[in-house]
Amino acid sequence: MGVRLDMTPMVDVAFLLLTFFMLTTQFRPAETLPVVLPGSHAASKAPGGNLLTITVTSGGVVFVGADVPPGVYLPGLPAGPLRDVRVAMKDLPLLLVRLRSTNPALQTLIKADRGVSYGPVEDVMKALQVARISRFALVTDLERQI
Amino acid sequence: MGATDSTADSRAAARHTGRRRRKRRLGIRIDMTPMVDVAFLLLTFFMLTTVFSRPQTLEIGIPEDETRVQIAGGNLMTIRVAADGALFWNLGQGAPQLVTLDQLGPVLSARNRANPHLMTVLKVDRQGRYEMAVDVLDELALAGITRFTIAPMLPEDLELIRRAHKE
Repeated sequence: MGVRLDMTPMVDVAFLLLTFFMLTTQFRPAETLPVVLPGSHAASKAPGGNLLTITVTSGGVVFVGADVPPGVYLPGLPAGPLRDVRVAMKDLPLLLVRLRSTNPALQTLIKADRGVSYGPVEDVMKALQVARISRFALVTDLERQI
Repeated sequence: MGATDSTADSRAAARHTGRRRRKRRLGIRIDMTPMVDVAFLLLTFFMLTTVFSRPQTLEIGIPEDETRVQIAGGNLMTIRVAADGALFWNLGQGAPQLVTLDQLGPVLSARNRANPHLMTVLKVDRQGRYEMAVDVLDELALAGITRFTIAPMLPEDLELIRRAHKE
C-alpha cells in the first residue's frame, strides 16, 4: 500500500491518443458513394496514400478521387485533392493522363460495385491503358474461407 | 470570561473541524484504474480498426497500349466468361470447354503444374457481371498464378463460345 504511482501523465497520454484515433477513424470513411464490393480471398492491403480511386457505381457511373499534390491545379476542377468527382467515360483518359503527370507516384484502385456489368469496368481499364497505367488493383471485401 | 472561553472554544472547535475537513480532503483518493482500463481498451480498439480499415485489393497488370507480345500457342490458356456467367477454358487454339467456378481452381493448378510457362488470358463479355471477373481473378490468385492478363472479348471469342454452348 505504501507504493503509489502517479498515473496522471500516463492517463493524459492515453486519452490524447484515444481522442486522436477516434477523430481520425471518424474522418477516414467519409464515403458518399454506395458501392457494395465483391468478395475475394486477396490479402494484400491497399496502400495508405497517393491513391487514385476510380469508383464505378451499380448504375455504371464513374467517379474519380485522387491525391493531388499541393499547388497543382487541374483545369476545370477545384484545387486540392479530388473528392470523387463524376466523370464521363469519354473524359476519363485525359483526366487520368493529367493526374498521372501531376503525381507519378499515384497507385490506381478500381472500386466497382459487385452488381455492375463488366462493360463499364472494361471501359475504365481501357482508359487506364490509354493513360499508360498498366498496374492497378481491384478493391474487394475479404471473403471468409468456406 | 465565560464569553471569551466560549469564543476560544468555538475557535478551537472551528480549527478542529477545519483540520478534520482538510484531512478528509487529503484522504479522498479516486481509484483511476477502471477508467484507465477503459481508456486503453478504446485506444487499442481504435488503433486496430484504423489499421484494418484499409481495403483488400487484387493486383492486376495489363499490357501497355500498342504492345504486342508473341506467345507460343501451347503456352496460352484462355478463360472466357460468357454474358450468362458460363465459364470456358481452352489451351492455345483448342475448343473452349465448359467449367464451373469450383472446378476452375483445380484445372488452373493442374495446367500450370504441367506447363510452368503458361500465360493466362481472361476475357469477359461486356454483358457479363463484374463480380464473375473478380471471382475468376480470385481463383487465379488462389492458384498462385501471377502470369495473367485481361483482354477484351472479340467477336471471334463470342462465336467460339456460341459454338461451345451448342455442343
